[in-house]
Amino acid sequence: MTTTVTERVERLERQWAERPGVLGWLTTTDHKRIGLLYFWTTLVFFGAGGVEALVMRTQLVQPNNDIVGPEVFDQLFTVHGMTMIFWFIIPMTTGAFGNYLVPLMVGARDMAFPRLNALSFWIFVASGIFLYVGLFSGFGPDAGWFNYVPLSTRHFDPSRNIEMYTLGLAFNSIASSLTAANLIVTILKLRAPGMSFNRLPLFCFAFLAASFGLIFALPSLSVDLLYLYLDRNLGFHFFDVAHGGSTFLWQHLFWFFGHPEVYILIVPAFGIATEIIPAFTRRKMLAFPLVAIAELLVVFIGFGVWAHHMFATGLPTVTLVFFAGATAMVVIPSTIQVFAWSMSILTGRPRFRTPLLFIIGFIVMFVAGGLTGIMFLAIPFDQQVTDTYFVVAHFHYIIFGAAVFPIFGGMYYWFPKVTGKLYFERPGQISFWIIFVGTNLLFFPMHIVGLLGMPRRVYTYPGDMGWTSYNLIESIGGYVTALGIVVLFANLVVSYFRGPPSGPDPWHGPTLEWSVPSPPPEYNFAVIPVVSSAYANWDHDDRERDGHRLTAGVGVLERGHEQHVSSVVDGWTSEIIDMPHSSPWPILLAASLSVMFTLLIVQKFVYASIFAVLIGLTLLGWHGKEPQES
Amino acid sequence: MTDIVVDRRARERFPLGLWGMAMLIATESALFAMMIGSYFYLRFKNAHWPPPGIPEPKLLIPLILLGVLLTTSFPMFMAARSATPKLWLLLALILQSGYFAMEVHEYAGNLAHFTPQDHAYGSIYYTLLGADHGHVAIGLLLNAWILWKLLFGMTAYRRKALRAIAFYWHAVNVLTLVVTLTVLSPAFA
Repeated sequence: MTTTVTERVERLERQWAERPGVLGWLTTTDHKRIGLLYFWTTLVFFGAGGVEALVMRTQLVQPNNDIVGPEVFDQLFTVHGMTMIFWFIIPMTTGAFGNYLVPLMVGARDMAFPRLNALSFWIFVASGIFLYVGLFSGFGPDAGWFNYVPLSTRHFDPSRNIEMYTLGLAFNSIASSLTAANLIVTILKLRAPGMSFNRLPLFCFAFLAASFGLIFALPSLSVDLLYLYLDRNLGFHFFDVAHGGSTFLWQHLFWFFGHPEVYILIVPAFGIATEIIPAFTRRKMLAFPLVAIAELLVVFIGFGVWAHHMFATGLPTVTLVFFAGATAMVVIPSTIQVFAWSMSILTGRPRFRTPLLFIIGFIVMFVAGGLTGIMFLAIPFDQQVTDTYFVVAHFHYIIFGAAVFPIFGGMYYWFPKVTGKLYFERPGQISFWIIFVGTNLLFFPMHIVGLLGMPRRVYTYPGDMGWTSYNLIESIGGYVTALGIVVLFANLVVSYFRGPPSGPDPWHGPTLEWSVPSPPPEYNFAVIPVVSSAYANWDHDDRERDGHRLTAGVGVLERGHEQHVSSVVDGWTSEIIDMPHSSPWPILLAASLSVMFTLLIVQKFVYASIFAVLIGLTLLGWHGKEPQES
Repeated sequence: MTDIVVDRRARERFPLGLWGMAMLIATESALFAMMIGSYFYLRFKNAHWPPPGIPEPKLLIPLILLGVLLTTSFPMFMAARSATPKLWLLLALILQSGYFAMEVHEYAGNLAHFTPQDHAYGSIYYTLLGADHGHVAIGLLLNAWILWKLLFGMTAYRRKALRAIAFYWHAVNVLTLVVTLTVLSPAFA
């Protein structure tokens, strides 16, 4: 008696079922659940960062305003910057989109290291708690997101504010590194059979690039944070010029991390664009290999341009010229991508649904932000506008326009996949237009006030500088943007409850995630798909053959939590492994790690050592149960 | 070409666990690269390195210790491959523990002469060496752990763990080589 398809699927469902209820979510190792946890958590931080921005815009709405004082304003802009970069965009792209979608796109059943993935999430939660406990207890970081010394040394910032910066970011960077390592190994090793490197979706190339960026850039930040902690708390002299230290050391290390970071923020957004464009223009991406290389190259060049953040610090001119030249190279891969996106849209048959609108808005904003970016290459110009609102305008066009717009577009695009419901199209398009108009009202006048000399980070300004009306427009733009975002999320929430069912593939999407039901089952793929192009879901004969293989029981991998491992280059299966699932150890390890570090900060060494022992026990437990060998 | 043939006996030459370890080593190497970069950055910012009043590092004992540590790559290499890994592991563990004990002794001895609070030289010297010793200490714990596991017999999972730990030790040895030569460099000139 042969096994039927229903029996196979039922067996997979039994084997991959997670614990029900809250406990299931706390111990989950399913990449989709972790992706959703990341999604909800980062949305909370996005809300917090947005409220901080609105308070700042309200403070700046008119001259000599006194809604918040300078101390609070310092904390607001510092925490706003940190939140949006480290607690919203990076975890939203790598944590939420990457976790949820990368395994589905490469045809895997989970991430390469499922428990590490859970650990990454819980450490991320702890890092956010550190930051916001600091803010709400009046000890929010207050020296700007790049936290220059000597301002942030014990001498000028004597309270605990900067410790919250150090601790929060250190935990955050551990979490990001774990996710990045996981994404790299997943993309390199868990690809569906036949998915050779040239058949990898561009989305995955982008996440590969961002993950490599994180792996090599974050240590620089960690070292910097370590030095700062030692200087502030144990009297070391890394940044103390009087004792042979150097304040430049902080800046070099910070920007050696900080500039790749900028590309780490936007490259995943490029990846989202390269998914949405083919789906809504009914054509494959133009210049596929060039775009793939450009995505990797942007991050690679990003490691050689850090000193362009330091043009006004008095570095030797020859250094400045070198870095200006290196920065100019970034134009090449960026332009390749801009042309590839826009020409793919122009030569395709575009359907202007909400996701594509967001991508078009993104291209417009990215080009605008890129053009002001090129202006900074002129060193004297940069020295004039450094620390003015012109810079604020530039990087908000890039970060809001080029990173957040595709995130919003991606939320609409994959909403049917994640929830199984369609969103409402008309309110979606309205939300796009409100956000597009709002952000331009918000950020464009910043160019002008910047050129008029308004410095960034000031908590108020006199009325006779000619900045008043621009600031009013910016604040109005801020409220309009907030309104648009509210419409966007209201649409998604209402659609979740009232939306019509979407079916597995409402857009005729190009990649494998659209070949499975919506929402995807725990095991993702009932049969491991065999792939013969980068647009695997458009190869209907392949997908049909997958159906036959399911009936025949070939490549179903139904003996436990099984996952195929592929070779790096040509993507053929080389091994079947047994994956771990639902483990309590990641959350326990993250909890004991964070408690231990908190105790170290308040210098309770005896209690801290108790938790060190707990960490050891947790690790033993983690490795106690060995995988089944087949 | 259109179908997969699953050979369940197939074993990946470079299993996922080793990939994970490779990622750890990549990011840790970047960490040490940044620290070594800061060392030379601070060195070139100062006219005297080490500053007056702080003795130049002594060469003999650290270089001998370094030599001892580097030889442990051989027993680790053998342990990852041999059918009787426990003896090789024990040999490596003894050498590594000896190295670690001597280095901690040296570190404490240096603190009697100059401290990290005297000058940026001391700050980077002790931070760099401390980070390296920390990595050795974690390696010792890993070795002890896998040795303990192996007392209950060998499995495919433990073989992978053993290979990953050997990989870690090779990387730590290379890092220690670079770190040691960096902190000793003022004495070469």
